[in-house]
Amino acid sequence: MMRFVWFWTFWHWSSESFRTGCLLHSPVQGVGTHWDEWFHHEASEEDRRAMTDTGRSETGQREFITWLYRHWAREQDWSNHRMVARFVIGQLAHLPPFGHWVAFEKYRTGRFRDGISSLVLAEGSSGEVTDVRPMEALVLPKDHAAGDGFLTDGFQTDREDIESPRLATISLLRGKGLLFFLILWMAGGRRPYPLWLKFILNLGWLLTGGLILYLLCGPDPREQLPVLVAILAGLWGALMLMAVTVISAQAVLARRAGEYWFARLEENQVRLRMEGGLTFKGASAGLPFCLNALFSLYRAWPEVTRRSWLWRSFFHRLNAETGSWAATGVITPSGFLKPVVLEPKIRAAQLHDRIRHVITPRQCDAREAARHAAKKSKSPSSHRHEPVAPVVEANGIRLGYAADYAAEKPFLRIHACRHAAQSLLAIGALASRWQMTANICAVGISLVLLAAAPDLRAILMPYPSPAPMKPASPSPNFLWVSLDTDHPRYFSVVLESSYWACRRVDVARYTGANASVRAEILLTSSGVKGSGTVGTIWVERAPHFLTRDFGPGERVGRYSLPYMFSLGAD
Amino acid sequence: MKSQIPIEQLLRWRLAQAEASAPPPPRAGQVLEMACPWWEVWPEKFRDFAQQLGLIRIAYGLAMSRPEEPGGHPVPVLFVGGAEKLETSARVLYFNVRDGRLRLRLRLNAAIPKAPENFEVTFVNPQLRPLFSAAATPSADGEYRLDIELPEPLAYEWEQLKVTDPMPFRLMIHSDKKKD
Repeated sequence: MMRFVWFWTFWHWSSESFRTGCLLHSPVQGVGTHWDEWFHHEASEEDRRAMTDTGRSETGQREFITWLYRHWAREQDWSNHRMVARFVIGQLAHLPPFGHWVAFEKYRTGRFRDGISSLVLAEGSSGEVTDVRPMEALVLPKDHAAGDGFLTDGFQTDREDIESPRLATISLLRGKGLLFFLILWMAGGRRPYPLWLKFILNLGWLLTGGLILYLLCGPDPREQLPVLVAILAGLWGALMLMAVTVISAQAVLARRAGEYWFARLEENQVRLRMEGGLTFKGASAGLPFCLNALFSLYRAWPEVTRRSWLWRSFFHRLNAETGSWAATGVITPSGFLKPVVLEPKIRAAQLHDRIRHVITPRQCDAREAARHAAKKSKSPSSHRHEPVAPVVEANGIRLGYAADYAAEKPFLRIHACRHAAQSLLAIGALASRWQMTANICAVGISLVLLAAAPDLRAILMPYPSPAPMKPASPSPNFLWVSLDTDHPRYFSVVLESSYWACRRVDVARYTGANASVRAEILLTSSGVKGSGTVGTIWVERAPHFLTRDFGPGERVGRYSLPYMFSLGAD
Repeated sequence: MKSQIPIEQLLRWRLAQAEASAPPPPRAGQVLEMACPWWEVWPEKFRDFAQQLGLIRIAYGLAMSRPEEPGGHPVPVLFVGGAEKLETSARVLYFNVRDGRLRLRLRLNAAIPKAPENFEVTFVNPQLRPLFSAAATPSADGEYRLDIELPEPLAYEWEQLKVTDPMPFRLMIHSDKKKD
C-alpha cells in the first residue's frame, strides 16, 4: 500500500546503511535503534506527515499493523516466520511516533511477551515478588554482528551460562534429551487416544490378563485350548501392535518436528529477553532459558505441531498457561538439572499472584525448602505485596493450608525434575498415573506371554510328529522310546498293553552315555497272563502353559511293542 | 494602598527584582575558560584520566566481559562520575560521517550505577591525545547518540570507516561538566 511508503523508505535506509557498514546490526535485529535514528535525523517532512496521517485514527494504526504482518513480512520473505513482524512491531511500539498509538498498546504492555518466568534472586533478597522475573525468548533471523548462539537482551550473563541451555535445547529437539523425553512418555505418558479407544484398549488388556489367569488356574479347556490360546495371542498381538505403532509414530513425528525446529534454530538466533538490566551470577536461570527457547521456536513455527501430538500437547498447554509457570535450575548440556538455592525462590513464587507452578531440580532439600517457604510466607509481613496463599504442594503433596488466602491462590505446585525432559511432561500435563499403571500391567502381561511363547507356539503350531529311533534301553526292565524331536516338553508316550502295566511317561532329554530325547517306561507286569510282546506305544502331544499341564492332546504316533523292541535288537 | 499601577512601572519593578537575584556576570577570564575545552582547563586531570584510559586492555582487561563477542570492536571507555571511575567498554552501533558531521550511537557494555541522563563524551586518539568532546543524549533501549561537526582532517579520515572496523579512538565519559 502506498500509504505506508514511509516505512519502505525507512527500511531501505536501514538496509543500505547496514550494507555500507554504518549500522552494526541487521535491519531486523536492530530495528529499534535504526528507527530511532531514521525518525529523528533522516525522515523527511513528507514522511512525517504521512506517519501523522496514519496515526491519526486507531483504524489507520491497525491497518499499518496488519500491513506489516501481511504485506511487508511477505515481501521480505518472512511470511512463514511469525516472530519477525511481531518483533518489529514490539520494538517500534516504544518509539515515537508509535509510542502514543493506541493500537500498539498491547505490544507495549508486553501482552505477547510472556514466557516461563525465571526465579532470579536480587542481591540479598530472601524471596520477594520481584524475584519472579518474566522473560521471553524470540527467534529472529541471524545477525552475525550480534554473535552466535543465544543472545541476551536486557541482562548480562557469562557466555557459558547461555551455551549450556542452548545445547540442552538442541538435545531436547533431536538428541538424547528427546530420547529421554520419549522414554519417559512411553513409560508413563498419556496417549493420544480418544476416550472410547482408551476404554477398549484397557478392556483388551484386562481380557488378556483374565485369559492368562484362566489358562493358569481355570478348568482344563481340552479341545477349546487352541481357540483360547489363539484369542489370547491375537488379542495381545493386536494390543501390542497398536501400542508400538502409536508410540513409534509419535516418536518419529516428534523427532521430525524436532529436526525441523533444529534446522530453523541453526538458521536463526534466539534472543532471551529479561527486563531489569541484571548481571547474572550463577547459572540457575538455565532451565527457563532452555524452556523459553523451545517456546520461541513454537511461536515462530507453530504449524509444525500439527504433525506431532506430543509437541502439540506440550506447547498448547504452555501457550495457554505460560504466565503461571516459573522455573529455576542449572542445566547441563545434556539437559540434566543441578541443584540450586530453593527456599527463597519458592517463597518469591508464592508471593507472586500469577505463578501456580514452579519447576525445580529434584534435590534432597526441595521438600524441606518448600515447607520452610510455606511457613515463612504465612507470616502477615510477608504479604506486603500480594495477599496470596502459602499453601505448597511438593511432588504432589500439600504441605500447608491457609484458608484466608485460599480463595485467591489455591496452591503452588512444585514440579521437581531431574531432567529438562521431565519438565516437558510436567508442563504438557503428559504424565498419567493411570497410563503408568496400565503400562505396568501391560508389561507384566507381556512378560508372562513372552515366557509362555514356546508353549503357545506348540499349541497353535504343533511341532512335527517325532519318529522312534535308537538308542533302546540296555536294561530288560525298561523300554526306552527315543524320539526324533528337539521339543521333548511337548510330547508324552503311552504304553497300552494287556500284559504290561499301562503307563504314560513324559518325554525328556537325557544326557550321558546314551544321550537322546526319550521316554523311559518301566516295564512291570500287570499280572495278566499273556505275551509280553503284545501292546502299543502311542506318542501324544502334551500341551502346557507355563506351570500348567493340560490333559493329553492329540495322538500323533502309534507303534507296536515288537517294533520298539526290534529297534533295540538292531 | 494604591491599587492601579501602570504596567510599565510594574515591568520595571520586575526587571529590578530579576537583576537583583541574578548571578553576577562572568568575568572575561571566566568566559575564556568556559570556551576552552576541559582538557585545556584541567590538563592534569586529563592526563590522569588518559593514562587510566590507555591502560584499559579490551582483550584481557576487566572491562571486557565477553572478549569473543563478534560484531564490531568494543571501544575502551572510562566513565568518570564525581569521585567514581569505571573502566568499561562500549559498542558502536551506528557510525556515519557525512558532510563533515559525525553521527554515532553507542551502548555501554557495563551498567553504570546512577547513570545520568546526559553525558559529555571526550574522544581520545590512540596516542591518548584529546580530539574533541560532544554531548551524548540517551536514546532508545539504553543507547546514547551524539551528533557533532568534526574537524576537517578527522572528517576526511573517518569518512571511510565502517562500524565494524576498529575505532581510532577511546572514550572518556563524564557525568558533569566539572570533570571531577
